[in-house]
Amino acid sequence: MTAQLLLSFLLGAILIYAFAERRRSPVVGVLAFVAAAAGLYFVWVPAHATALAEFAGVGRGVDLIIYIWVVISLLVLLNLHLKLRMQTEALTRLARAIAIGEALRADTNEARPDEPAIRPRPVSARTQ
Amino acid sequence: MAKNKALSGAWVVIAAYNEARAIGRVVADLASLPYRVVVVDDGSTDATAEVAARAGAGVLRHPINLGQGAALQTGVDYALLRGASHVVTFDADGQHRAEDIAALLAALSAQDADFALGSRFRGTAVDLPPLRRLVLRAATLFTRATTGLDVTDAHNGLRAMTRRGAAHIRLRQNRMAHASEILHQIAASGLRYVEVPVTIQYSRYSLAKGQRASEFVVILLDLFARRLHP
Repeated sequence: MTAQLLLSFLLGAILIYAFAERRRSPVVGVLAFVAAAAGLYFVWVPAHATALAEFAGVGRGVDLIIYIWVVISLLVLLNLHLKLRMQTEALTRLARAIAIGEALRADTNEARPDEPAIRPRPVSARTQ
Repeated sequence: MAKNKALSGAWVVIAAYNEARAIGRVVADLASLPYRVVVVDDGSTDATAEVAARAGAGVLRHPINLGQGAALQTGVDYALLRGASHVVTFDADGQHRAEDIAALLAALSAQDADFALGSRFRGTAVDLPPLRRLVLRAATLFTRATTGLDVTDAHNGLRAMTRRGAAHIRLRQNRMAHASEILHQIAASGLRYVEVPVTIQYSRYSLAKGQRASEFVVILLDLFARRLHP
């Protein structure tokens, strides 16, 4: 019973996570939702899990649930990877805007030497 | 920004990360030619930016290291903003010859193309190790199959493009997969491209800086992730 409660809690959390993710990454959201819902069902109706597991040739229902859990983890991992990519892209755009902005400002100052040259402080990536 | 006719013309974009040892010479070789040179310092921790600026290049600095693809795109964007008529991409490690740029630009106008791609296999590859040759060949076959472009050298950093061509390039692969990405975008643009023989001079330095065979696995992963999240 303890294991069932724990799994239900975790799968419930996945359900909420998947539901919240459905806008940002529909594929991962829907797949994780379906997998978590199936997992939740099988946790409480293990007989069906065993029947399905036998049908799928997995052996025990518990194994099937573990496999589903692995699939969910991989999906979440994939989602994290995609999010990281989006973050990197945003970061790239930011760094590019800084680099080009600084260069253009420097160009403008060179073009008008009578004005005091306010040079942007170079941003250094060096560790102190 | 001052409108100056001298600002147009061909811009040579060099992405450089910790290339202080090689970049000065590369920029100096280009400085005698009638091109504007812009070095994008990709968050180097050495004196790359200072060396490049002293040699006569305009320098853009990424505050953090993002990868060669990102640095090239920054340089291309900047060149277009400054009114470049042509954009040339050039490697920082000294493996390209500055003279080849003229041939690329000439091919653009002679054949009315928007992209001129350097090919070491149509031209000369000096001191290219056999394993590197094999890997490059395999990468080229893969690129030909996936883009449909009839190219002989998929990972050559020496390319020239017209302003119109450059506007079609939007690199999102920050790391090395950008070489394939450029070819995909050239194919997608439907614009005309030509291959031009160029000479690549391999040195111990450029080989150490270049891609290793194992990195092609990472490149394939990057390209695969791109498919999932266009």
